[in-house]
Amino acid sequence: MSDTTSVPRPSSAVSRPVSEALLNEKWDRCLSNMLIKSTLGLGFGVVFSVLLFKRRAWPAFVGVGFGAGRAYEECNWSLKQASRDLKRTPA
Amino acid sequence: MLRSSLRSVRAVGNAPIASAVSRQWQPAITSFVRVAGRRFYADEKRIDDSKLPKSETTTSVASELPSLKTESQVASKDVPLTPPEPEAIASSAATGAKLPTPPPTPVKKKKGFFRRLRNLVLTLMILGTVTFGGGVAYSRISDNFHDFFTEYVPFGEQAVLYFEELDLKKRYPRSLSGSSSRPKDTGAEVKIAPQSGASWRVADSGERTSSAVGKSSSKKETKSKGESKPVSEAPAKPAEKIIESAPTKQTTSVGSYKAPEVDEPSRFPPASPIDPLTVKDAEDPVVQDLVKMLNDIITVVNADNADDRFSSTIGKAKNELNKIGSKIRALKTQAEEEAASQVASRVNEFDSAANELVSRVEKALIAQESAWREEFEAEIKRLHETYNSRIQTEMEREKLVHEQKLTNKLLEQAVQLKRQFQSEIKNSVEAERQGRLGRLDQLSGAIKELEQLTTGWNDVVDMNLKTQQLHVAVEAVRASLEDTEHPRPFVRELVALRSIASDDDVVNAAIASINPTAYQRGISNPSQLIDRFRRVASEVRKASLLPEDAGVASHASSWVLSKVMFKKQGLAAGDDVESILTRTQTYLEEGDLDSAAREMNGLQGWAKTLSKDWLGEVRKVLEVQQALDVSCTLSI
Repeated sequence: MSDTTSVPRPSSAVSRPVSEALLNEKWDRCLSNMLIKSTLGLGFGVVFSVLLFKRRAWPAFVGVGFGAGRAYEECNWSLKQASRDLKRTPA
Repeated sequence: MLRSSLRSVRAVGNAPIASAVSRQWQPAITSFVRVAGRRFYADEKRIDDSKLPKSETTTSVASELPSLKTESQVASKDVPLTPPEPEAIASSAATGAKLPTPPPTPVKKKKGFFRRLRNLVLTLMILGTVTFGGGVAYSRISDNFHDFFTEYVPFGEQAVLYFEELDLKKRYPRSLSGSSSRPKDTGAEVKIAPQSGASWRVADSGERTSSAVGKSSSKKETKSKGESKPVSEAPAKPAEKIIESAPTKQTTSVGSYKAPEVDEPSRFPPASPIDPLTVKDAEDPVVQDLVKMLNDIITVVNADNADDRFSSTIGKAKNELNKIGSKIRALKTQAEEEAASQVASRVNEFDSAANELVSRVEKALIAQESAWREEFEAEIKRLHETYNSRIQTEMEREKLVHEQKLTNKLLEQAVQLKRQFQSEIKNSVEAERQGRLGRLDQLSGAIKELEQLTTGWNDVVDMNLKTQQLHVAVEAVRASLEDTEHPRPFVRELVALRSIASDDDVVNAAIASINPTAYQRGISNPSQLIDRFRRVASEVRKASLLPEDAGVASHASSWVLSKVMFKKQGLAAGDDVESILTRTQTYLEEGDLDSAAREMNGLQGWAKTLSKDWLGEVRKVLEVQQALDVSCTLSI
């Protein structure tokens, strides 16, 4: 089953995701985005804390917060855009 | 005032001492001042200004000169001033407006008014005459101006006409006299004209010419008589007087010169014109010339006052002349008589000749007429012959044509008869043949019917075969759809079906309605559909609780809450996502793909988008099934 089904799917997946996987894909992208941005923020925070703030902890937290917030906002925006597109297409 | 004084001072000399000196040397200074005043005359009236020093001078030392000067100046000033006052009063009494007129000007005006008027009139007249003359002269040159001038300027036309006539007279001085003489000539011509002119008659023309000659001669006679009468009659009487009362008159008239002998010469001057006694000889020009000559001689003699010397000779000459005149007259009468006799004989000759001519002409005419008649008859004969010949040829032709037509008709009739005969023979033969071959036809009809029957059976068999083939093809398609575990393209089977039912429109339409992706990729069987539906249903459930404009938080909450939701069973009533899903599942389990698809189509929002692919799949399957059903019903 898995082999047989995997044969036709890659082609379709490459061109256009299957409809039931639309939401999941968005979630995946959001999560990865959040991970990357929060790690970036953390990195910047750590560097700042080491260089400027005598190895205090809060700059790192602040960086993580910035990254996560940015990722959340992007995710939110993408989801809303998708729902707007949905509304537009059926009409 | 100050400036003037300064100037005067300057004129005298720039040194201030001059002023001091001036009082001592009054007359000299005044003279200087006058000079200065004269100098500045052109600039302004400085004489009045220069007076002031004079008045000063009067007060000082020298009284005589300055006082005189002031008086004179005052008088010159006052003289113009005094007259205006009474005049002004008078004028103000009469008309208040004439006050400002200065006194010297009216005097001048009164003097110059008539002169000015005269000048003005003179200039106007001169100008007018000059312009008029110029206009006349220019109108002679240019035609346009001539028209304008004659039309709009009074007396312009007359003037121009007069000048033009003058010009004409200058150019053609004789034209006037010629014009006067011409009308007389024309009148004479008019008189002659009705009697003259060419005519066809011979005898009349002779008469006419003779009459014309006679008339002209008579006219000439009258003319010459008219000319000669005043000359001849006047001298005639004096000539008689010469002989009779010569001595008496000579004594009276030439008594101042010489008493005894001088009578004759004094008589001759009046007698000299008497000479042309040739009243009848005037007809002849030679005699006239002679008379003239004699007259001339007599006048010369008279002028010379040598009358007594030539009187006798002249008298002889006169007698001679008279004789010559009478001789010439006799000669003329003789000649005339001869001429008349000659003319009469000629007339007779001409008459006879004319008669001869007429008779000859008549003869010739008769001869010509006879000749023409003969010719005419011959011509008529010739024409007659030619016509006859032509008519004969025409007749022959007509005959030929007629005969040919007749033969043609005969031939046609023969052909028709032949045809009739042939057709009759055919008919008879046919009748004979049908009588025998009628049975054969019936047999062939029977055979044909049999053939038709067999062909009908063949059709039926073919149809059967076709339907069988179609059925087989449909079955093959269906088998290819159902046998396989996974979707597989069934293009080959469909092509076979199409080739079999190529002439069937319904099958073609059914096949055309199938989505091309369906037979290129194949369609999934119901078990696969159900399997996929399960996956789709779980995803749809996750998004079942999403609001309209969902963000991350709502998505997360709906995912979390979907886990906790209760699940329904069977054909659940309700419009929410969960009940729709459960209904679809039950339909699927029953195998009712159509209603399952309809249920899923009722979803909204995210749920619809998520189940879009599954719905497409189901639709493809349904289309294929429908097409197969249609073709199957056809094949059965």
